[in-house]
Amino acid sequence: MQQQDKYRIALLSAFALGLHGFENLLPSPIPWLRFGLANIVTLITLLLYGMRPAVMVTLIRVMLASLIAGSFLGPAFILSLGGGIASTLVMGFVLHIAPRLFSTMGLSIIGALFHNLAQLFLAYFLFIQRIEAILLITPVIILFGTLTGTVNGVVSALLMKNLIKYDQKVQNVNEIK
Amino acid sequence: MKNKLKVKSEKLIVFKIFNYCLIFTIFYILFTALSCSPNKERIFKKDKILMDTLITITVVSDLKDTAEKAIDAAFSEIEYLEKLSNHYSPDSEITRINRNAGVSEVKVSDDILKLLEKALYVSENTEGAFDVTIGPVIALYDFNKKIRPDYGMIKKNLSLVNYRDIIINRDKSTVFLKKKGVLIDLGGIAKGYAADKAAETLKKQGIRSGLVAVAGDIKAFGLKPDGKPWKIGIRNPEAKDKEDDIMATVELEDMAISTSGDYERFFLFNGKRYHHLLNPKTGLSAQECRSVSIITKEGAFTDAFATGIFILGPEQGLKVLDKLGFEGMIIDSQGKSHLTQGIRKKIEFKRTVS
Amino acid sequence: MSLKELFHNTTLADRILFSLMIVLSLSGIAFIKEILPDNFTVHIYADGYPAYILPLDKNRVVSVEGPQGKTVVEIKDHQVRIIESPCHNKLCIQTGWVRSGAVLCLPNRIVVTLGDPDKHKKTVDATTG
Repeated sequence: MQQQDKYRIALLSAFALGLHGFENLLPSPIPWLRFGLANIVTLITLLLYGMRPAVMVTLIRVMLASLIAGSFLGPAFILSLGGGIASTLVMGFVLHIAPRLFSTMGLSIIGALFHNLAQLFLAYFLFIQRIEAILLITPVIILFGTLTGTVNGVVSALLMKNLIKYDQKVQNVNEIK
Repeated sequence: MKNKLKVKSEKLIVFKIFNYCLIFTIFYILFTALSCSPNKERIFKKDKILMDTLITITVVSDLKDTAEKAIDAAFSEIEYLEKLSNHYSPDSEITRINRNAGVSEVKVSDDILKLLEKALYVSENTEGAFDVTIGPVIALYDFNKKIRPDYGMIKKNLSLVNYRDIIINRDKSTVFLKKKGVLIDLGGIAKGYAADKAAETLKKQGIRSGLVAVAGDIKAFGLKPDGKPWKIGIRNPEAKDKEDDIMATVELEDMAISTSGDYERFFLFNGKRYHHLLNPKTGLSAQECRSVSIITKEGAFTDAFATGIFILGPEQGLKVLDKLGFEGMIIDSQGKSHLTQGIRKKIEFKRTVS
Repeated sequence: MSLKELFHNTTLADRILFSLMIVLSLSGIAFIKEILPDNFTVHIYADGYPAYILPLDKNRVVSVEGPQGKTVVEIKDHQVRIIESPCHNKLCIQTGWVRSGAVLCLPNRIVVTLGDPDKHKKTVDATTG
């Protein structure tokens, strides 16, 4: 890993953490429904730098957020970690085996879906153990996740486009130098 | 020139990002609106055991507090009526009347006066088939322990059964039982009356729509949040599972309904059904009907007439209902249903009774 | 990037995935209540107040205090019964195991109901008889 990449990971983690924190401030219609804004950063890291940095950014974000909020190793932390890792891994896997099948938006939806599924599984096995309660909320969560995933995907695509432009510009400048 | 273009495109991108934020916000507002829309009318429901039976009160309200306050007030009203009318309790007004039978008149509250007046009205209109003084004969039966009284005993106690022995003095608010040993048992009318009073209490508390079910004596007023009338199921007398088997449904708007059936409290002996609907003339279980449902404005009347008409039988029963302008359905011992004209439009059969 | 452009940038798989997720979750919301068996919970009320809300798939024995004393309720193999009651006629005990509906002890004012009480509301609001 190059020094520059480390900087970038640090920077991206900081962005992710910021979005994560900002999201917690937003009032939500149902307490555990979240927009998953941090997923934008995860997705961009994945697209720009690949799987390992993406997992790293996710880990750093979840760890730091829980440390700041004081929920480290608590239920919220476990759910957040499980969801984050699962969505990153699945998005990376899909991107790896079929890079052209889905656009950024599709990847974002897949990420949101597996984020939710992982959290529901964890919630069932670790905390709730009432299958009917989980089954009742699953469609609501998945619907919401698909919508927020779409919006996050659009934002990610937009950012990607501009970042690539910016990168080219920087490269041009470097070349001139 | 190039720089200018870049600035323009960057401005555009900022504008686009703003657009997406807008979409995001719209999504968010939509979801908030969907998940908690305030001031929407909802149904609130509460159960309580009072008068030795399960009472369910359902109300439509936009506020939980209003609904719960009204329901609690209605339950207290029923509790108050139970205290007045329970003939088992040693200090109820009915017990005092019974204890002073043949001795002296007893001053009673307005509710007991109204209850007794309504009871006598039903007795007069059913030729005594409904009679609140049936107590001494009912006491001879025990439907849980399958105890059948001896006919001599029944005959002896039948001499104490006569609603005409109840003398009500409206002006002095007193009740007097002419004969010693006469017992008033309001079990056949008090539940329906309680449903009326509970519904009145709900209305006083500002509830515009509700349903009071004192066991099978039901009083409905107003409409449900979806604008439809309350839908009441009538139990199938042949049902094996008492909870689920419904033979017909009726829609009620500002009406009460009660059903008397031979399946409520009974035992079988030598193939004969001994149930709690006793004929005051013979002291034996009435055999002409299986189930009688009555619909009219007042729960006190539906409750008492359901019993009275069960004992009168289908032909005479229908005549009484037509005369008073009540609606009803009578299932006779063969399982045939007899309906008044008015109920035909309201009733919907789930299955035929065989 | 306009909405139209945005749409063109998505792949066919994207669109199929999106529509599929929306349709599946919406139908899930609409039908999950119908698919689920309704008797998942046991509600025990003492004198009108909820005393317990328990899952039906865990075997256990609980006791509740009514006006006359302790009533003991047993939950086993998705069934419920009252095994001990201070009441006079013990009708509640005679009722035996119940899979749906309710077990009542009128004298001790105990109501044990099984399942989602709102499920029956869809057909009738109350029952007479």
